[in-house]
Amino acid sequence: MILYEYEGKEILQKAGIAIPNGQTLHSLEDRVNFPFPLIIKAQVLSGKRADNGGIIKVSSEMELVENLEELFGKIVNKETVEKVLVEEVVEIEQEYYLSLSYDTDTRGSILSFSQSGGTGIEERGVRIFPIDPLNIPSSLELVEGDIPKDLLTKITQVFFDSDALLLEINPLVKVASDKSQESRGRKWVALDAKIKLDDYAKARHEDWNFPPRGVPGYSPTANEMAAKRIDEEDYRGTAGSAYFDLPGDIAILSSGGGVSLTALDALIKAGGKPANFTEYSGNPPKEKVAKLTKVVLNKPNIHGLWVIGTVVANFTDIFETLSGLMDGLRQAQTELGTKFDFPIVIRRGGPRVDEAYTMLKEVKDFDLTLLGPETSVSQAAEIMAQKAKEYEQKHG
Amino acid sequence: MAKRLLDKGARFIGQGITGFEGSRSLPKMLEFGTQIVAGVTPGKGGQVLEGVPIFNTVKEALAQVGQVDGSIQFAPPLRVLGAVQEALEAGIKWILTGAEKVPTKDEAIINSLVKQHEAVLIGPNTAGMINVAKELKLGFLAVADTNKAFTEGEIAVLSKSGSMTAETSLHLKNNGLGVSWAVCVGGDIIPGTTFGDLLLELEADPQTKASVIFGELGGTYEEQVAELVKSGKISKPVVAFIAGDFTLQLPKQVQFGHAGAIIEGERGKPDHKRQVLRDAGVKVAENFDDIADLVAQAIK
Repeated sequence: MILYEYEGKEILQKAGIAIPNGQTLHSLEDRVNFPFPLIIKAQVLSGKRADNGGIIKVSSEMELVENLEELFGKIVNKETVEKVLVEEVVEIEQEYYLSLSYDTDTRGSILSFSQSGGTGIEERGVRIFPIDPLNIPSSLELVEGDIPKDLLTKITQVFFDSDALLLEINPLVKVASDKSQESRGRKWVALDAKIKLDDYAKARHEDWNFPPRGVPGYSPTANEMAAKRIDEEDYRGTAGSAYFDLPGDIAILSSGGGVSLTALDALIKAGGKPANFTEYSGNPPKEKVAKLTKVVLNKPNIHGLWVIGTVVANFTDIFETLSGLMDGLRQAQTELGTKFDFPIVIRRGGPRVDEAYTMLKEVKDFDLTLLGPETSVSQAAEIMAQKAKEYEQKHG
Repeated sequence: MAKRLLDKGARFIGQGITGFEGSRSLPKMLEFGTQIVAGVTPGKGGQVLEGVPIFNTVKEALAQVGQVDGSIQFAPPLRVLGAVQEALEAGIKWILTGAEKVPTKDEAIINSLVKQHEAVLIGPNTAGMINVAKELKLGFLAVADTNKAFTEGEIAVLSKSGSMTAETSLHLKNNGLGVSWAVCVGGDIIPGTTFGDLLLELEADPQTKASVIFGELGGTYEEQVAELVKSGKISKPVVAFIAGDFTLQLPKQVQFGHAGAIIEGERGKPDHKRQVLRDAGVKVAENFDDIADLVAQAIK
């Protein structure tokens, strides 16, 4: 989960890292209690806010009100602004870029550091230092530059303690020395904070009560939110956590990370147009599969349904999940008051597949095609694409 | 450094083997001929499962059955770090750990510990590995129906995805090719074992003539293979397939199934991976079904 700036700064502040004085506004009614000039910052997840009009300096009450009226509800990089951070201006002597993250080259954590921060960091010289989580002090010994070691230690420690995948401070600033009185003795201040938490560590962080959110630069669709709720309401197996609408006409129910990727690539290559991406895996109960089935079919102009997964599943109970598929199909027909006569192509295998296919062979109210290990994922994609095309030609 | 590819007759303990995945995998591993000599689950000491004695701790188990060649772990994600620590402290140098959703911080600590102990780790988030000729079936890979997908042969299959390890092996089988080692390395951000680690070891494996890697978007582990091939450290033929092109149509910074399957900035795009692999001399299959043909040409 990616945190908004104001949430990230709270974590930094609790860890003893200075942030600018400021407050988070939830609406235009909220009073601002700081002297001008002020910086107002739209709280969206995507970066490059300054370039998109999301960060503005204001010098008077009138300017503040005008800009807040403009900013609340504004779309910044496809995200709607619902909160605004207002902060005092910090006098800067020098800016730095600092981040902690995980790196596939060293297969461990790294600290990235540049003597110049600010926007356009991608083009600047960033130096990378491996950090051994079992020996932070000696790892930090090697970090060059003039950031004090105790500050580096605090930042590194809060990165690990909060199970972050990314902790980026850009910029971290050294406060101009003659202004240090005004900034209440602080020499180093984190002007920004981008923190991405590791969802896999949620169970050991009772304090993670962050409201649900989408991904940067994107507003989720109704189907996407409905799919996400399936997993939130029932922890057994996975169904719906990853769901995206696509502009095509073939609804997808795929299983397993690698197979899902292969399947959608193959379907597109075969000329098919997926209407969504989604995935169910592990061992979800049939109710969850039924719910996900209803979500993928909840759109007009569906010309086919592709149920695609490996034929050698490890633990997924194929009878259970395909029973859920049939339940979902019948419930969706009733709820939508329609009859699904489009082709449904199924390629699955694993525990209880024989029982499942015996059950499906008896089904007469849907147009089912059952495939097994003799048909590859790509061949199944071609069959699906072809059948959807024929259906579309016949029914217009 | 300890070997990742073990020999026939290697002896293992199973940590967490009495749980859902462990208890279902155990009989299948034993049927395959794999020697699981003890199990470890705290609080279950004294039980016997499928003829395998269960102990409360790794040390107790080893005191009874002697040192082993490895530990296969079925511990849940937040217990993996503790299980790895326990195995390493008992002197075990080879660990395979299957749990999905292990926090990345724990993986960084695990990688550091494994290095300190000069041990090796397969996973986390691995379905396991199989070598038919060596009667090794380690983990829950294709647990329901191993023989359907795997047949003995000369091609190593390495994949981030468990189901695609099996599907790739099945595709080779359907085209008259068999598998030496089939290894799921897992799709996490910082796994213990990568394609590169295995390909380097396979260079000296007499059973293996060529390798297939099933890669996907995200990370740099496919790019590392390209570097190793380019520098001549890997000389046996490698055929690669990279999945995930369609994800470029979707919002960025979204994770697709595996934790490591995420595109951030320009890094990790499938077409970029294909390009660097091709430039290095790796045969890249555009379609999954072309893999077997490319392998057959490579070993001619």
